[in-house]
Amino acid sequence: MLTSSPRVAPFLFALFRRLLSLFCVLLGVSLITFAMTYFAPGDKAAAIAHARYPDVQAFPPEILEGIREEFSLNEPFFVQFFQWLFRFFQGEFGNSFASNTPVWDIFVGNVTETLSLTATALLIGLLAAFALSSVAVWRPGSLFDRTAVALASIGAAMPNYWLGLLLILLFAAHLNWLPAYGSGSPEHLVLPAITLAFWITASQTRLLRAFFLEAKSAPFVETLRLRGVSESEIFWRHILRHAAIPALTMIGLDIASLLEGTVIVELTFARGGIGSLLAGSVLSRDYPMILFLVMFSALVYVFINSLIELVQDALDPRISFLKPPKHDRSTEARS
Amino acid sequence: MTFQTQAGFSEETDLKKTKHGKDLNRFLFRLGTMVLCVLAVAVTGFLLSPYAPNSPDFLNRLSPPSQAHWLGTDQLGRDVATRLLYGGIWSIGLAFLITFAGAVMGTMIGLVAGHFGRVTDVALMRVTDSFFAFPELVAAVTIAGVLGPNTANMVFALILVGWMKFARLVRSLGIDLVHRDFVVQARLNGLPSTLILWRHILPNIGPSLLVLWTNAWSRSILSISGLSFLGFGVQPPNAEWGAMLLDGKAYMQTAPYLMIFPGLAILSCVLAINLAGDRLRDLLGSNAVGTEK
Amino acid sequence: MLRVKNLRVRIHGKAILDAISFCVQQGQTLCITGESGSGKSSLLRALNGLLPAEFERLAFHPKTSEPSELKGRWQGAPGLPGSRWVMQDPIAALNPKLPLGVSIGESVFSKSLSATELNDAVSEAMSDVELLPGLAVRRPSEVSLGQAQRACLARALVARPELIFFDEPLSALDAIVQKQVAATMRRIQMRYGTTFIIVTHDLGFAATYADHVLVLRNGKVEANQSAGNFFKSPESRYCEELLLAATELGGLPEVVPATQGPEVARSC
Repeated sequence: MLTSSPRVAPFLFALFRRLLSLFCVLLGVSLITFAMTYFAPGDKAAAIAHARYPDVQAFPPEILEGIREEFSLNEPFFVQFFQWLFRFFQGEFGNSFASNTPVWDIFVGNVTETLSLTATALLIGLLAAFALSSVAVWRPGSLFDRTAVALASIGAAMPNYWLGLLLILLFAAHLNWLPAYGSGSPEHLVLPAITLAFWITASQTRLLRAFFLEAKSAPFVETLRLRGVSESEIFWRHILRHAAIPALTMIGLDIASLLEGTVIVELTFARGGIGSLLAGSVLSRDYPMILFLVMFSALVYVFINSLIELVQDALDPRISFLKPPKHDRSTEARS
Repeated sequence: MTFQTQAGFSEETDLKKTKHGKDLNRFLFRLGTMVLCVLAVAVTGFLLSPYAPNSPDFLNRLSPPSQAHWLGTDQLGRDVATRLLYGGIWSIGLAFLITFAGAVMGTMIGLVAGHFGRVTDVALMRVTDSFFAFPELVAAVTIAGVLGPNTANMVFALILVGWMKFARLVRSLGIDLVHRDFVVQARLNGLPSTLILWRHILPNIGPSLLVLWTNAWSRSILSISGLSFLGFGVQPPNAEWGAMLLDGKAYMQTAPYLMIFPGLAILSCVLAINLAGDRLRDLLGSNAVGTEK
Repeated sequence: MLRVKNLRVRIHGKAILDAISFCVQQGQTLCITGESGSGKSSLLRALNGLLPAEFERLAFHPKTSEPSELKGRWQGAPGLPGSRWVMQDPIAALNPKLPLGVSIGESVFSKSLSATELNDAVSEAMSDVELLPGLAVRRPSEVSLGQAQRACLARALVARPELIFFDEPLSALDAIVQKQVAATMRRIQMRYGTTFIIVTHDLGFAATYADHVLVLRNGKVEANQSAGNFFKSPESRYCEELLLAATELGGLPEVVPATQGPEVARSC
């Protein structure tokens, strides 16, 4: 045993288990990512050669063979995989085939676009969702509430590429208020951010409304009401705190959808950023870039979800690491 | 010893057909009828239409909605209404196929994980977690793009990124069910595992699976159209709602109806499936073993 | 016919049942009772192979099926051959998606009967437990609790077991239905000479139906007496208190056990 304290030992054990499964998932993620490019059709050596000597049309086999040697393309799958993995976690991401500049530099050059878009959209979207849902649960069943629910349903079914096109049609083509395509100025950010925010608002309004409603009818709220605590105080001090944990979880789970939304919005509005970078690299078979970006998005997801689990543990003693696995029923003694 | 009570036969012989079950049946019946009606209208409309979805008519390019072309024609003079009906078959049908394959694959993986337990379970669930870590669309764009953007590769990519939710659901419900009394009874009565699976586990997972599946179906329509819109899915000249949007994008100012109608079609279709799924979930709520996790 | 010597169940190193010994004679009723948490239900689960148990000896000698002799550790899925188990909550014990008839028929799956034989067996079992044949096509949600428990009883009965375990068979039912189901159980026992092992916390029920009583407390045997002796002069102070409490609450009728079985040797 690591420690004599009976309270700490299971905690460390749980932490260890969690880290172990995190390690397994990271390994799995890398394996899948690498397999995606490894099993791609086409000669990778030719792709590299084209990237190096863009003017040359055809390459003699010796040069291709030399490239294969250099990039160990003749090695078995797992050798190549572990070589890539070690380099990746040492921070050597390689050079982009397309521009022959380091992948990391291109990534850094594009990531600010994506971050500003996502952050703006999250801010607008969450604020709107919060406002809508808190007003909606004030009088459940009222016209405003039903409108909010309908809006959320439509938003969940709305293809955001289409919404983007509609916004462009209205605000850029007809009214000429805002630029349609491209990126750079704050004006360029407005339409994409609204498009992405609309989706966030729709999905989060639905969830927040459900959480608020549930918290509103919880027994402890009834007790507070009987004690004469005012409705607004109940909402701001108790319901909000109660709904925060599940809401946080859902937002965490939706990070993947958010990344998806970003890809689509960036491409719809022809913005720079990670999404359009990925699409461009995929079409030009820029394997180092693809590997890095796919791995990056998966790592972001894993990282954020682990973080949320930790925050949950900290916020809510009921959701605990130490909770026994739910399916361990066979050994449960019943009488 | 005498037995004075023979009342057993008369004890509560009234039919206890639950109102709940009736509601569910009525809903499923209505849903089925509605789907059939829509399908019938779509197919007859497509068959009755005087136009072929992919044959160009250069004299009638970009003509706005009229009596001859209810929803107008596109840049090659093809009838938008006919293409919408035709494209719907692709969007909805492909989504159906993809989610069906994903559901079957996920169910099998979930059952294997739940059944064999321990090492198999942990290994399969870590694999599932790993696949889960990729944003669906990012992975789909990469796989479909690297393999070469066409319909078959898109379908492959979407199946590959869509089975995990089913696996998780089936596994957790299955593990839960195995310890239920009626499954224990079946095991004690000597039923083989396959029969227990077929008779006791699967029918009780079914409702939850159905709810998850409607959810996945509507999402899949969005993904297919999205991938096609981005150029990684169904390729022109094939009509598919997302591909039609891509076509229409270039003529946004001169012929806005080219992008409005396909978008409306996607929106209404996804909305309809979502609402049906919600209703289904409400109705199955108390009947289903577990709701979506 | 069933002898258990020194049964022990350990979970995570903790013994939840220890040194349990008892025996049952053919055609008799053994009631296992005790407070909640005393290990009554765990004992049933262990006897059906659902909990890892250790025996010094377990001998089950039914007349018709082959005898089981077990020693050492045991956790076997299909329970003891020739025995069946009726659970506490009939709704949980029946697959909600299956018609009652199919659930009942599953009990004789291993005999691989033909369709007509199976049909006959099921309808005979259903009439034995006073269920209308029309109920065979209903699902558990479409019948009353009492009917569902009768279906569970029929499922046990259709296999013609010589030993039936009951886990609180009546506690999910209301009083009138309890009485009816109890009467049905009795009649079945009379007709087929089935041995019953009934887990119950209802001492009134035990007083009426038991031939022998086994009282558990904290996973150990507190009393192991014939019913007549137990209700007259219980073995321990704890049992006395238990009986006193039950009498005060009015749960214990002033009746002498219906059939006075032969006194079973204490040593078993």
